[in-house]
Amino acid sequence: MNLLKILTNGLWKENPIIKLVIGLCPTLAVTNTVENGLAMGLATSFVLISSEIVISLIKKWIPNNVRIPSFILIIASFVTFTDYFLKAFFPGIAESLSLFIPLIVVNCLILGRQEAFASKNPTHRAIFDAIGMGLGFTWVLVLLSTVRELLGMGTFFGLEILGAAYQPMIIMILPGGAFITLGVIVGIMNVINRKVESQNG
Amino acid sequence: MAQEDVSLSRLVITLTVIGVVSALILSVVYQWTTPYIEEHQAEAKEEAIFSVLEGAVEYEEVTKNGITFFEGYNESGNLVGVSYIAKGSGYQGTIEIMVGADPSNGEIMYISVLNHEETPGLGARITEEQFKNNFVNKPFGEYELVNREPSDPYEVETIAGATISTRSVKNIVSEAGLTIEENYGGGN
Amino acid sequence: MDSVQYILLLFISTVLINNFVLIRFLGICPFLGVSRYVDTAFSMGLATTFVMTLTAFATYFINSYILVALDLPFLRYVSFIIVIASLVQFVEMFIKKASPVLYKALGIYLPLITTNCAIMGMALLIPLNEYNFIESIVFGFGAGVGFTLAIVLIAGLREELEFSDVPDALRGVPITLILAGIMAMAFMGFAGLVSI
Repeated sequence: MNLLKILTNGLWKENPIIKLVIGLCPTLAVTNTVENGLAMGLATSFVLISSEIVISLIKKWIPNNVRIPSFILIIASFVTFTDYFLKAFFPGIAESLSLFIPLIVVNCLILGRQEAFASKNPTHRAIFDAIGMGLGFTWVLVLLSTVRELLGMGTFFGLEILGAAYQPMIIMILPGGAFITLGVIVGIMNVINRKVESQNG
Repeated sequence: MAQEDVSLSRLVITLTVIGVVSALILSVVYQWTTPYIEEHQAEAKEEAIFSVLEGAVEYEEVTKNGITFFEGYNESGNLVGVSYIAKGSGYQGTIEIMVGADPSNGEIMYISVLNHEETPGLGARITEEQFKNNFVNKPFGEYELVNREPSDPYEVETIAGATISTRSVKNIVSEAGLTIEENYGGGN
Repeated sequence: MDSVQYILLLFISTVLINNFVLIRFLGICPFLGVSRYVDTAFSMGLATTFVMTLTAFATYFINSYILVALDLPFLRYVSFIIVIASLVQFVEMFIKKASPVLYKALGIYLPLITTNCAIMGMALLIPLNEYNFIESIVFGFGAGVGFTLAIVLIAGLREELEFSDVPDALRGVPITLILAGIMAMAFMGFAGLVSI
């Protein structure tokens, strides 16, 4: 496929959260505010892009039977870098995301893309795959956190939107609300998908 | 990917090289970022201490009986008050509170909730000014929770729907005051 | 409060009050992926609990005697994930020998235990909460038990759901998520059960 198609693949057709159903832990945990959701999406994208670049560059030298441990080592290193970088220069974000930055290491999306794409494709294509998947992951996070923050606190990115008279639905920023909102979003996406597919014949 | 039939030494070498290179790079990243991280932590600590010890412009860390106290001094070098980080269990986890007190008159000065996992909108309201004001000029001692305006210096007004969280804070601060009294005297 | 009481309360707190799946949001992928049938879910839970307890054991020592002692905190994530991956590899080989049936039943989900964020999350929470050795083991074991509880409960519900008329769009992942949300709300009721 051409490069643009690789990119858009991650946005919808093989969207990591909606279609592949991976990387769900951060999706539910840090989408209580849009700021957190966006930051998590960007951090994950950074690790994904850097890992795919490095692994697609050195894939020739990695023997097949140690490929998974090698990928994991490289991913863990980029995550460590991200963690320290955020703690040093964005301490507020680092504190909000806390445990979930290191958990990027076990985000099946990252390891999965190395196995499925980076280890089998030239670097320029791997970059587009990573950007596409990263954006796909991020937009779902932002959507989910927009719903949760708006209904759960009446704000968007910290800005008061629904006014003081709005009684927030606290459940939205609690675990229960996260699960239910994601379930509804995936359900809606399924409906949209089915309509699109039936139209395409 | 590289061929299937590779020797054991090749496998070990690959992993070792990746491991060593990563460790070296991360070590550099660590050295580079640590000063910034420590600066943030020091700033946060200072802010917490000064927020509960009014008038303090510098502090000194003193350890007594295994507890790290922060003695606050004003510009003239006089002791303004003493604070330390008190912990206790709340509704949903540990609550950490920086409690500042003035041993010379046996009163709590102010509190700052540093960490908590209480329910947003309910227990989390322990960080609100209105609740924290319960503890301004509060004498050391055992406190009681009431759900009306306090008529007695030893009473603390609860937050509606957050009885457990407020009780936890009340207990933590009460014990903190007594701890400070034990180590620095109680004035009255 | 004496230490036995504290350990017991820590266990209850980890299994129910701060349940790894429904309150802490850890282990969601296997929670959704392996929960179609109660027996597979239970086997997965057992295997995960086993790995978790061993992980708590191993990472506690690595953290205390290597990372902290030699001032190498930046190697924490790298070393922990290597430990977890190795432990899962061993458990895989062990199960293959001990019970080929179970090995076949778990299939691809066995190596996927490595990417179960509940294990890494648990390992990282130990130094964060400054648990001692006994507390770490209890915490790891409790995390596994809590995970098993959650996954078995949802599997039981999903088995029942097979006979219900779920709208087409919600079938599979969406309805499971909604169910999990209701379960999470129920588990919130445990908050305040014990104070530690």
